[in-house]
Parts: sequence; C-alpha cells; structure tokens
Amino acid sequence: MISKPKIIIVNLSDTEYKNWKSFLKNELKNIQSYHLAIDLGDLDLNCKFISEIIDISNMYDCEINSFYSTSVKTMVSCHSLGYTANFIRKKSLNNTQIPNNNSDFSKTHFHQGTVRSGEYIDSPGDLLILGDVNPGAVVRAEGDVIIWGRLLGIAHAGSKGNSKAKVSAIQLRPVQLRIANKVARGPQEKPQPSLVEEAKIDSGKIVITPLENF
Amino acid sequence: MTTDTRVILICSGKGGVGKTTLTANLGISLARQGFKTAVLDADFGLRNLDLLLGLENRIVYTAQEVLEEECRLDQALVKHKQESNLSLLPAGNPRMLDWLKPDDMKCIVNMLSEQFNYVLIDCPAGVEDGFKNAMAASQEAIVVTNPEVSAVRDADRVIGLLNTNAIKPVQLVLNRVRPKMMASQEMLSITDVTDILALPLLGLVLEDEQVIVSTNRGEPLTLNSVNSPAAKCYLNIAKRLQGEDIPLIDPVEESAGFGAKFRKLMQTKIF
Repeated sequence: MISKPKIIIVNLSDTEYKNWKSFLKNELKNIQSYHLAIDLGDLDLNCKFISEIIDISNMYDCEINSFYSTSVKTMVSCHSLGYTANFIRKKSLNNTQIPNNNSDFSKTHFHQGTVRSGEYIDSPGDLLILGDVNPGAVVRAEGDVIIWGRLLGIAHAGSKGNSKAKVSAIQLRPVQLRIANKVARGPQEKPQPSLVEEAKIDSGKIVITPLENF
Repeated sequence: MTTDTRVILICSGKGGVGKTTLTANLGISLARQGFKTAVLDADFGLRNLDLLLGLENRIVYTAQEVLEEECRLDQALVKHKQESNLSLLPAGNPRMLDWLKPDDMKCIVNMLSEQFNYVLIDCPAGVEDGFKNAMAASQEAIVVTNPEVSAVRDADRVIGLLNTNAIKPVQLVLNRVRPKMMASQEMLSITDVTDILALPLLGLVLEDEQVIVSTNRGEPLTLNSVNSPAAKCYLNIAKRLQGEDIPLIDPVEESAGFGAKFRKLMQTKIF
C-alpha cells in the first residue's frame, strides 16, 4: 500500500532575496516528498516570480499543492496561475508547523467565494476577495479593495477617509464606487474582456485605469 | 432520523416566478416514476398549492392540527386523485399567521420523512420568517428564477442565505424562458443568469400558455399533456434530480423553427 504523500512546507520568506533560487534547489534536493506547500511569507511577488518557482519545482519532479502567504499581491498571483493560496496571518512559520490562523491578528481581510446580493463585508485593513461581488452586495475596507473576480455591486475603499485607497477588479463594473468620501456611478459602457482595472482618486475625481504590472 | 428521504426546498425570493407550479409538476413527475412523494405547502398565509393540484375541496386538517395532536398525520395528508403516490400536506390555516416556528417545521418534516421518498417544500416568497421556517427543515434546495433582473437579484439573495445555513446542494431552475427573446438578446441569456448566480443548472422551463390553463383547471401539466413544451421540461427536471444525464434544451435552437433546423441538418451532413 502506498502511504499518503506528505506535504512539506518550504519556507522562502527568510532567505535573502537574491539567493532564493539556489536555496529552493537545495531544499528540493533534500526532500523525499513530491507534494509541496510553499510559504512565501510577506514577500510581494508577481506572476513571473511564482511561475519561476513552479518551473524549478517541476525540474525536481515536485508538485506544488499550495502556497502560503501574508501578502495580498502574492495571493492574487498564485490564484491567477491556478494554484491554491492560503492566507496566513502569522509572520514567520516553522518548516514543519501547520499554519495557525488564530495567531497574530492582521488587518487584511480575506474572503473566498461569491459575495451575493444583500451581503456586506467590512474590513479594518485591506480587503481581498477571490470571487465575484454580485449586484446588491456591498464590500468596504479602510484600505484597498482587491477583487479577483467581477465587481458588479458596490465597493467602498478607504472607508475611514483614506483618499489614497484603491479598488481593483478583473472586471470593474460596479453599480457605485466610493473612495474615501467621493462617490461615483459605475461606467455604463461594457468593459474590455480580461482587463484588470483599478479605480483611484485623481485630482478630486474617481478615475478608472487599466492595471498593467499585475 | 431516517436517511434516504430527500427533503427539497423550492424557493425563489421573488414572488410569481413559478415555485408552486414547479412544486406541483415535480411532485406529479416524481410520483409517476414510482417515488412516494409529499408536497408540503409552507406558504400558509397565501396557500395555493392545493389549487394547482385540484385538492382544495379535500383539505380537512393541516399540519397545525397534527402538531397539536388533534388528528393523526395520515388524516391530514391529502392523497392526489390520480397519482396515489403523491400526497399534499398544507402547513397551516391562512387565519393563523404566526404560530409556526422552525422547530415545528422540522417536526413535521421528520414525520413525513418516515413515510416518503421525497418531501418537496413549497417556500413562501420573501426572506422573512416563512422562508426561515421552511429553510430550517430542508437539506437541499432548488432555486427558481426568471430571466429578469429583479428575479435574479432576489434569487442571489436567497442563495446567500441558503449558503450560510449550510444547505447543499443548491440547484437552479430557470423558468419562463422565451427562446425568441433570448435569441434576439432582448432577455437575459442563460449564461447571464448562471454567471451571476454561479449555480449548477438543473433545468430550463420554456414559457408555455398551457401552464395558465392547467393552473386554472387544477390539473398540473405533467399529469396529462405530455406534448406541451413546459411539461417536457418539468419531466426532464424530475429525471435530472435523480442523477440522470439529460442534455439541456438549447433555447436558440428552439426558436429557430423548422426551416432553420432543416438547413442546419443539411449543413452538418455536407461538412
């Protein structure tokens, strides 16, 4: 009988940024398991970086099951490449320890799944949603609102008056957008498909621009 | 508690989208296939499932009397005239609006589960007490909606509530589909609806004037007129509910008419 594959957590967050490739290769050489969970700590990583990690793992015949991260940007990158990313609130993680969500409270709020009509989410920090925000739903954060999905409802970023806050979504088609104390109606025309857009305050008005370096 | 009885809530949020019609027709279809089926009218303020089934004049007791032990359950159950596998249980008297509690509903459904394979609960419109009572007793749900913005919005709200109450699986029935309007994009398309609601589609029901006729007569469509398009849809839904794999109808093709279908057939043969 074949035993269930063990998941090993490779911690990349404590290594020096430039040496991470050799560090990862070293770790992978010593690993018996073929199923990996990689902890990326609080690094902000883009899709290119994540796919490099995936390529290196494939070189060693290892399969990545999931990523762990405390960074919202990294989470989005992992998801966009089709991997599960788990949001953790603890800063550092031991190699063998299972992440414990109840430790250190972080202000970033993470929601997975569709936010449906009548539902309301409020976050004291940033808000990351993996899923659609349907018409009739309201999402609100004191910091940024990032939606890995379609925004069709109402989003309010910088709810306590932070006018630098932003709202971004894969399809930005809200009923209403609010940033700090500004309110705007959503765009009427149909958006271009698969274009990540971002809304922010520019000279006193809420403007929507395509987001390129995502 | 018993086991393989499926307790299915039929709800929509918005009124008038076809919950009761679906309950009646699904009840008849399931009974036809040999399952012992109970339909429970949880909409006791404005009950009309009995009208659709043509059983209004046979109701003597309701679930209320059963709970107060004024009668036995089998006295309150109304057997359908033609389909002996189907029974109706009205939840209560329209005059008593606020006696029912979620626990009462659970109690009734547990009693029904001992005798029946399927218990279909016809949920009242809205998301208030009536809906919460009905939801408390259910395991799975069918959400009925029309291809209209308001109906879809309300369905979305209801699905959110079902999810928070851990009711699984939730499936979708898209009612009153008009193929011609869908083809000309005057109506929300199927993908428009499923994109927002993000639920598996259990079936489509085509708009059919016969539904009105059958409602007024108190004879559900699935009972007699098998040729009506809506009746076929209801039968397919009943089959899919048991896990049969029946392809969904394509409303665009339905609207195309004979000439277009014939041309399409020709083309597929040539190429």
